[in-house]
Amino acid sequence: MNGQNEEDLALSRRAASGDGGAFAMLVEKYEAPLRSFLARCAGPDRADDIAQEAFLKAWRAAGQYDGRARYSTWLTRIAWRCHLDQIRRTRPPAVEPEASCSLATDEVQDMVSRLSHSERAALVLCEGHGWTHAEAAELLAVPLGTLKSTVARAKAKCRDLWTGGDRA
Amino acid sequence: MPDEFDSFLKQALAPPPGEADRAFVARVQAHIRLEERLASERRVLIAKLWKELVAVAAIAGALVLLSRSPVVVEWAAAAPALAVSILLLAFCFVVAIFSAGSGARSLA
Repeated sequence: MNGQNEEDLALSRRAASGDGGAFAMLVEKYEAPLRSFLARCAGPDRADDIAQEAFLKAWRAAGQYDGRARYSTWLTRIAWRCHLDQIRRTRPPAVEPEASCSLATDEVQDMVSRLSHSERAALVLCEGHGWTHAEAAELLAVPLGTLKSTVARAKAKCRDLWTGGDRA
Repeated sequence: MPDEFDSFLKQALAPPPGEADRAFVARVQAHIRLEERLASERRVLIAKLWKELVAVAAIAGALVLLSRSPVVVEWAAAAPALAVSILLLAFCFVVAIFSAGSGARSLA
């Protein structure tokens, strides 16, 4: 277990014993990457609701975090399940580009919105958030080989869209 | 070797740098506090419900025992109107006690 995991495990154990301040530190640490991931996967409108639900579940299950995986991996897994549950409950509209984002972000949001849910998640985690293929494969519950091909396929689709745009 | 597209994709998909969103953290904390309060109220309500169920069962048991006593049966047969009146009074008393308990809870 590395130092980061030990620190997060200590905070999570304090949270499990009812220390709201310790949990607030975890929320501060991980809200930005989680919301960014969810904004790409579920759309900016639903990202905050799913993130809140995920943090609430993480608070309830704080005692279950054992420090073997990174806290961000554990938390993202909870959020991903919340996202999948929401997809099952309702048929959400397609992920739209953010109205207030920069040109590059707008462009990439448009590309990402054309991918499937698992392609989106795999691409964002492995390319943008620096996750290993093994971590992303565990999150998406797919074999490592499948995950690698999913990332490659998603990247190829984005590249096609990118080269097919203004740069063609 | 990463090309222009790889760098663009990595940069665009990376989480935003900077300070944590304090408003979001506060919202999550408020949700947690609300959930804790609701859970604690739920626990209190369930405990009260159990106590009330036990009380009702005890009263019902006592009434059954009384109704089997030969002295009570004899007396009730001799003065049925009085027996029914006493039963009704006892019932009103029990209802008043439980209502007072519920009223105090809702005020709290």
